[in-house]
Amino acid sequence: MFRYNFKYELKSLLRSRWLLLLSLLLLIVVLFAGYNGKEKVKERTQELKNVVLESNTNDAAMALVLDSIESGLQVSVNPRRMPNAPMNVAYNYPRVAAIPVAPLTFISTGQSDLFTHFIKPSAYGDSFSLDYSELANPIQLLFGSFDLSFVIIYILPLIIIAFSYNILSEEKEYGSLKLLASQPISIYQWIVQKTALRFFWLTLITLAVITITLLFFGFDFKTNFSAFLQLISLVCAYILFWFTIVLLVNLVVNNSAKNAVSLLAIWVFVILIIPAVVGQLANSFYPIPSRTKMITEVRELKEELSSKQDKILDNFLRDHPEYASKDGNSNYSFWHKYIASQELVEEELKPLISSYEDQLTKQQNWVRLWQYSSPAILMQQSFNNLAHTSTTHYQSYRNQVALFSKEWRNFFKPMLYGNKNFTTNDYKKLPSFTYEPPINSSVLLKVVVLLIFSVIFIFIGKQVFVKKIKKGTIIS
Amino acid sequence: MIKTTNLTKKYGDFTALDNLNVEIKEGEILCLLGANGAGKSTTINLLLNFIAPTSGNAYINGLDVVKNPKKTKPYLTYIPENLMLYPTLTAIENLDYFLGIGGKSFSKAELKTFLEEAGLQQEAFNKRVQFFSKGMRQKVGIALAIAKGAKVLLLDEPTSGLDPKSSNEFGELLKRMKNAKVAILMATHDIFRAKEIGTHIGIMKQGVLKHYFRNDEITLQNLEKVYLETMTLNNTAV
Repeated sequence: MFRYNFKYELKSLLRSRWLLLLSLLLLIVVLFAGYNGKEKVKERTQELKNVVLESNTNDAAMALVLDSIESGLQVSVNPRRMPNAPMNVAYNYPRVAAIPVAPLTFISTGQSDLFTHFIKPSAYGDSFSLDYSELANPIQLLFGSFDLSFVIIYILPLIIIAFSYNILSEEKEYGSLKLLASQPISIYQWIVQKTALRFFWLTLITLAVITITLLFFGFDFKTNFSAFLQLISLVCAYILFWFTIVLLVNLVVNNSAKNAVSLLAIWVFVILIIPAVVGQLANSFYPIPSRTKMITEVRELKEELSSKQDKILDNFLRDHPEYASKDGNSNYSFWHKYIASQELVEEELKPLISSYEDQLTKQQNWVRLWQYSSPAILMQQSFNNLAHTSTTHYQSYRNQVALFSKEWRNFFKPMLYGNKNFTTNDYKKLPSFTYEPPINSSVLLKVVVLLIFSVIFIFIGKQVFVKKIKKGTIIS
Repeated sequence: MIKTTNLTKKYGDFTALDNLNVEIKEGEILCLLGANGAGKSTTINLLLNFIAPTSGNAYINGLDVVKNPKKTKPYLTYIPENLMLYPTLTAIENLDYFLGIGGKSFSKAELKTFLEEAGLQQEAFNKRVQFFSKGMRQKVGIALAIAKGAKVLLLDEPTSGLDPKSSNEFGELLKRMKNAKVAILMATHDIFRAKEIGTHIGIMKQGVLKHYFRNDEITLQNLEKVYLETMTLNNTAV
């Protein structure tokens, strides 16, 4: 039976121009989504390039001045930017701490509209986590980005529904089902084969179109083959999930108009309602404290501490006698006081910052737990992970930047309190930031979950079919 | 070849078919007459195992259709009132498909012979069936029966909506099938056609077989008279 189903299903699809229409539609939509994603990545990459270039230019100028000073030459530089003073370097010549673009970043914008991709943590200020200089237009956030993940998660199921909503009901309504059922075949086997064939063709077209898009936008298959494999296994499992839903609805409802309405209702429920409810519950159960309130509190605390800076410096020098002036000179600068107060500031801010971070982590854990309630969440999380644009990635980046910021400040601390000059030799030892992506959770597990959903739907479909055959309502 | 014993189908309190006992042997044609809802199509649906009987049994070639659905279907061909084929496929392709999924494979030349035997014009063989008339589609159905070597033909109002010429051609085809020892059950409203081609004629009303004649036992006039009387009389056993 399979050979004949394969041969004539293909002929029918070709003659009805479904395959051509599907291929063209998917190609246009996916290419456009790829272009959109690539444009965003390009913009981000360019921005990073500019920042790095600017930093390198500043560094070159600083090295030149430093070299002149060390050679005993007169230099005409603003005293606040004089590079032999360590805190001038710590403040004026920060390193760029960037989260680089991953090979698949363009497929899923994820959280990248909400978070910044580069920070220049200097010795002054610790508000990098509040830096939103790259924040996208909120109107765009409202509508989402038309990227590949959007096309696959939102649009592809609609195409599957349009392609197959009446796969069985059409035969019944048209009248060919009775002729089919009078042949020595199992109608269940026949409908499963027909659905499987449509799954096969749509999957083939989708994978071809994705591969073409990746090739077109310069994806390196050789070095990123594993990411490509993960991407296509997710897409295949997701398409299968929707086809098994289509099969189930055809068996349960078996009326073309009602099938279409039911499938659209399922689409709304799975794609829109469940993720919205999960997100809303996360907000209700673990509300994030007001960011404005937090910023105000941070400022108030800093103000309070700055008024006590002399006392704080005394305490600091008592705790760190190695930094106390050896010649008894107690004429400490702003930087001495500021750096001394940072430990205390960090200590005092910890509960405030962590109350924010904790709630965020709890929200993420909640979503991570409930991601299995909707394939849409599951797919979005997986795509963001593959694209390195997930909340986990940005949180890890923020933590790494916080550590680097401390390392940067600590590098200059001995020079500041030891009244030492910054030299060319120190310049060579300046710490630099390298982003380490977090370990991704396994895509395999998510694929398995989607397959389990599909198997369950097929099983329920079989039970419904057996019941309906007994009642005689499948064919008549 | 076709046999039913006390075959009954009920939907809740409604009895669609009540204790039907008939037997159609090789080379016999039983034409079942009756108004809509008389139980003719229910009988065919039960023989095809599309619906399960409430009680009683239906046999094709000595096999219970409920217990042996896959074994009985190779012996039979079913032609509904509106034989719907796949519109984007040609006559030959449709024939090849319906035979192929049932496990029977034929060459293109053989498929053409079957269509020729069924009386389809040669120029229609490679045309998409979306352009076919009802009579042409039914010829493809007959070709399917010929190709399958069907021993049983179940026809559900096959001549309704056919013009007299096509209806006559279809009747001739059935006679040829009968001569080829095929057992035929035809549900119809057409008394004239039933008398012309049936070897036996039954009149059904409200799920009950009210009358059963051998063709030579009754004239067309009497058959029409009995039919009309049955349809107008109250529901009493005859």
